[in-house]
Amino acid sequence: MQDIFGLPVQTLMTVLLALFLVGAAIIGVLALRNTVMFKMGVRNVPRRRAQTALIVLGLMLATLLFSASFTTGDTLVHSNRVRALSTLGEVDIQVQSTRGAASQLDQLLGPGGRAAVYFDQTLVDRVRRALENDAEVEGVAPLVSESAPVLAPYSRLSEPQVSLLGVDAGSQAGFDRLKQADGAELSVRSLADGQVYISETLATEIGLRVGDKAQVFLSEKPTLVTVRGIYSEGGVPAAENSLVMPLERMQALTGNVGRINSVLITHRGDEIEGAEHTDGTLAALQPLLRGSGLEASPVKRDALERADREGGGFADIFTLFGGFSIAAGVLLIFLIFVMLAAERKRELGIARGVGMQRRHLVRMFTFEGAVYSLLAAAVGSVLGVAVGWLMVRVITAAFAQFNQEIVFDFQWSSLVIAYTLGMVITFAVVVVSSWRASRLNIVRAIRDIPEPRTSRRTWKGLLGTAALLLIGALLTVSGLSATSIALFMLGTSLLVIGAALLVRRLGVPDRVAFTVAGVTLLVWWLLPNSVSDAILPASLDDTGGIEMFFISGIMIVIAAVWTVIYNSDLLLRLIVALFGRVRGLPPVLKTSVSYPMQNRFRTGMTLAMISLVMFTLVVMSFITNAFAGIWDDTHRWSGGFDIRASTSYTNPVPDMTAALRTVDGLKPGDIVAVGSFSSAPVKAKAAGTDGEPANLNINAADDAYTDVVSYAFGSRAAAYKSDRAVWQALKSEDGTAVVSAITVPAKVNQEFGEQPPPVRLSGFFREDPIVPENTYIEAQDPRIGRVQRLRVIGVLDDVALSTGDVLVSQPTLEGLIQAPVPAESYFYKLRPGVDAVAATRALEAGFLANGMQAESIREEIDTFAGTNTMINTLLQGFMGLGLIVGIAALGVIAARAVVERRQQIGVLRAMGFQRSQVQLSFLLESSFVALLGIAIGIALGLGLSRNVIGGFAEQFPGVRYEIPWLQLLVLAGLAYLSSLLTTYLPARQASRIHPAEALRFE
Amino acid sequence: MSGHALVCTQPLAIIAEQGGIVLGVGRREKNAVAQPQATTEQMMDQPIIVAKDVEKVYDTGKVRVHALRGVSLTITRGEMVAIMGPSGCGKTTLLNVLSGLDEVSAGTIVLDGRPMESMSDKQRTRFRAEKMGFIFQSYNLMPVLSAVENVELPLLVAGSKSRDARKRALETLALVGLADQANQRPAELSGGQQQRVTIARALVNHPALVWADEPTGALDSETSGDIMDLLSRLNREYEQTFVLVTHDPSVAARGDRTIFMRDGAIESDRPNQRPTGA
Ligand SMILES: Nc1ncnc2c1ncn2[C@@H]1O[C@H](COP(=O)(O)OP(=O)(O)O)[C@@H](O)[C@H]1O
Ligand SMILES: [Mg+2]
Repeated sequence: MQDIFGLPVQTLMTVLLALFLVGAAIIGVLALRNTVMFKMGVRNVPRRRAQTALIVLGLMLATLLFSASFTTGDTLVHSNRVRALSTLGEVDIQVQSTRGAASQLDQLLGPGGRAAVYFDQTLVDRVRRALENDAEVEGVAPLVSESAPVLAPYSRLSEPQVSLLGVDAGSQAGFDRLKQADGAELSVRSLADGQVYISETLATEIGLRVGDKAQVFLSEKPTLVTVRGIYSEGGVPAAENSLVMPLERMQALTGNVGRINSVLITHRGDEIEGAEHTDGTLAALQPLLRGSGLEASPVKRDALERADREGGGFADIFTLFGGFSIAAGVLLIFLIFVMLAAERKRELGIARGVGMQRRHLVRMFTFEGAVYSLLAAAVGSVLGVAVGWLMVRVITAAFAQFNQEIVFDFQWSSLVIAYTLGMVITFAVVVVSSWRASRLNIVRAIRDIPEPRTSRRTWKGLLGTAALLLIGALLTVSGLSATSIALFMLGTSLLVIGAALLVRRLGVPDRVAFTVAGVTLLVWWLLPNSVSDAILPASLDDTGGIEMFFISGIMIVIAAVWTVIYNSDLLLRLIVALFGRVRGLPPVLKTSVSYPMQNRFRTGMTLAMISLVMFTLVVMSFITNAFAGIWDDTHRWSGGFDIRASTSYTNPVPDMTAALRTVDGLKPGDIVAVGSFSSAPVKAKAAGTDGEPANLNINAADDAYTDVVSYAFGSRAAAYKSDRAVWQALKSEDGTAVVSAITVPAKVNQEFGEQPPPVRLSGFFREDPIVPENTYIEAQDPRIGRVQRLRVIGVLDDVALSTGDVLVSQPTLEGLIQAPVPAESYFYKLRPGVDAVAATRALEAGFLANGMQAESIREEIDTFAGTNTMINTLLQGFMGLGLIVGIAALGVIAARAVVERRQQIGVLRAMGFQRSQVQLSFLLESSFVALLGIAIGIALGLGLSRNVIGGFAEQFPGVRYEIPWLQLLVLAGLAYLSSLLTTYLPARQASRIHPAEALRFE
Repeated sequence: MSGHALVCTQPLAIIAEQGGIVLGVGRREKNAVAQPQATTEQMMDQPIIVAKDVEKVYDTGKVRVHALRGVSLTITRGEMVAIMGPSGCGKTTLLNVLSGLDEVSAGTIVLDGRPMESMSDKQRTRFRAEKMGFIFQSYNLMPVLSAVENVELPLLVAGSKSRDARKRALETLALVGLADQANQRPAELSGGQQQRVTIARALVNHPALVWADEPTGALDSETSGDIMDLLSRLNREYEQTFVLVTHDPSVAARGDRTIFMRDGAIESDRPNQRPTGA
């Protein structure tokens, strides 16, 4: 990956490494100067192996999560790169006509138009000369490339889009060589007249073997070629289906003798390194190309950047959703060290008693912590790679249907970042908790007397409260002025917290102050969308992105845990009242619930961890469930059609309706309607906006399509009262257009690493029901530059997938480019009961010569749905890793409790507690915390999901708020069971405590 | 500190007397089911514990400590037995094996007519819940429970209804002079107060047998005198059996009999002169 958290990997790695090294150096120096402290601290590590193992396991979780999401990101970036490189190979820069769109249009409208993008072959020499002195340039080559259907006459299979490459055998230095699967090179020079090489993919796709003949449809009349060899690599720049012949032959076939349409440039170094010298070459070519109608495109660099962006976007999602688990992991680290300090308290107290300085204590503890952190970060980052590998396996399965190869990859830099990041975080927590531990009262520590409640009337406390209020006020104001809902909400929340601290200072009891504050925060953050829209300043509406999910999650968890902890006695009473009647339970219940209630810090931390993770899992289930629903409504996705198909532009079907009668395997009446699209490349931009018009492929529907289609509109021009009216208008009113949802900005932006649409309208949002009057797109004929305005009368539903970005009527398109455009895409509506898959096969066979590719829309949707669900499940699984954190916390606390309460357990046993009762009391204690955490998490998840789903539903009409009871039950059950499992061992240990021995030692 | 001083000056004897009224005959009958043997006159002279040739060896792997070397003794119902001896001579160990908290290495102990080795851990535990009370030197209260919750715990363990348990716990706390501190947690009480909570806890279910391991060891002499007054009064009025370990001869002198131990064996075992006053 190039970026992590939006920061360049190199920078991040350097900074983290520097931090790490500085920290290590300080520790090293301190250790040398305090060898005694160092030994005292570190000797604890090997002394208690089991405990050390547990601590390391607990500490590593945060690092593991980082490492796993980075690995996933690396893999996706790498896979994207592999894909990008497979189409480009060594080619770094491609010089082409600037008239890209125009040339496409020319091609579309007739073979003669192609000439426009060709230029004189002598340019190659001029480019060579211009780059002569550049040691980085390894090769310059001419190329003629075209796209055309290829048909295998024997197998009767065809491929509508094959890249035909005319390659100069004399200019191959530095470029990729054609290689067979067995590694043998295929020489272009040795191709005789009429012989070609084809790519392995094309060969398998349409069943061609060496020696076979194939038809290439460069014009209406096919050219017959013979397959001389099949290459598995080296046919670049081209898609997977490609065909190579000598340059001269290609020039002759296209009628461009002495002319080419590309100059390729490759730099030294491998495929990826080649991109580095891009700027130098572009600059060197500038004078040569200026005013020539040609441009040099940095194709390699662009492809790599796109690959990185998309892969990185995926990793960002994982890190973001993993963020809750990472937050929980950090809490766990803190908890572990606080507990460790508690355990060492006596030892530390005695050390202080015999004259050790406080800072010595901090150091001693820090040394020990440093060893744990080093181990934990190492284990975590390596295990994270393993977890990442597992996730990649799942992703591979998810994308299997899309022919997207996923190649596992991990970068040392990511491992280093995960390690150092984990280390830096862990170590920071270690230092803070060491410092906290050092502030002990010697007498209390030695006699193991609980610390008294800190006085709340200190100056420091007052200052802290004041600072909190001030920061809160500042954030609120800056949130308002910067129109950031996140800042605003954070600020107001700090104000609430500060106010609670303040009134408590004025004598209001803790319970009242904190309960009111906690509940206020909960209500504030969980306000239904409708209410918050009404009471919050309008400028803040919908300014939040995905980060709001994170912030609000953390805030409501804090608020809920806060409220619960300060009302725990009520809870205790409630539980005792509920279960007090069960025989034998009251004494057990009493002890098991009292402990967590008294240890507010531990309980609060554990509750926060469990509920945080449960909360995210619940919200995720809601989202998965909500979105699962949108796939069910096939009709919404398909617009009422069952099959979509495309044909090759070189050999269109003149009259589809008539042609259908002759298709074998289709009975008359099987197909009840056929709509078609023609499409043409234009330059377009939203009227009234600055900036250059971008290339846009505009689609034009025929009347049959607009009559049948049932796609809904998210927004309509005011004049049209129904969706149907818009479709009617598109047909009947010349110069009208409807656009896809992504061409209109959304209020809440949820895109990750997506490509921006070519045309972006402004002045209204996707969520608005009305398209403002005077919303126009300026479309330009790319050949002559004539501009025509298209009036936008509707914004399609998000799920209208097959319409393209801008859809007009065929007469409108004809008016735009002054020529009829043949149809290329077809939409078939079947009679109910007709098998779509069989019909698809029949169509493909029937329109073989036209290179038809047909797809059952239902199948496509199912594939989408399957992938979507799989990715969501993966995400959920990843987030579920966080549950380990919460459960580990319970285990750590239980294990610690067994040690701490040895004597008390002895007393209980002497008093007549049975072994089973001791065990039960431990299990109940963890159950109490686990169930409370689970309940809080689910409750908050239920609360927030309503808003989250509501927000989605505005954008995706099929999304519904539906409680996934089964999933929640399974989640809660799993979480609870695993928490019981982790506490089972400590509980058993507790029950085995020998009373006489426990009572003997204090 | 002032709280502590205040408590120490409270005349415990008077409170004990008031407590005696509270713990009237009616209460005893209510409790009769839990300890039927204790009420029958003829059983009074029967031994509650008979130990014969008890040996206890601690084997920690590295060292073997012979803590008890053939101890035999009989404790009769209603007796107050003091055990004295130098530190490390095996007093605590003896208490532990006699009460069934620990197992013997050799020898037999018959508890209330039943050989201890024939009882399972579960049965011994139930026996403790119903018939024994423990007072430890280091008070050993549950820090997370309030005084009254600590005291009611044995009742709850023995299966009392929680409302009854609370009532009796409060009464017993009043008996030891801590009615006002019922809802405080151990950390908020002085040493003497904590020890009195422990005593209340040991006595709340009227156990037939009370084990006290240096119950006054951590208290000043005045407080310890008050506590002993309380214990001897309870012993007399409710015919409970007391076995207490002490270093303090004046404490030992208040019992019926004093056992001296040395090196894991009984050196002497003789009745005390009955204290004249009370
Ligand atoms: N669990 C044990 N493991 C090893 N030795 C023990 C253990 N408990 C007690 N001892 C040893 O047994 C002897 C008797 O101890 P104890 O009964 O506590 O004496 P006392 O209570 O009279 O001071 C001592 O030497 C003591 O060190
Ligand atoms: Mg002892």
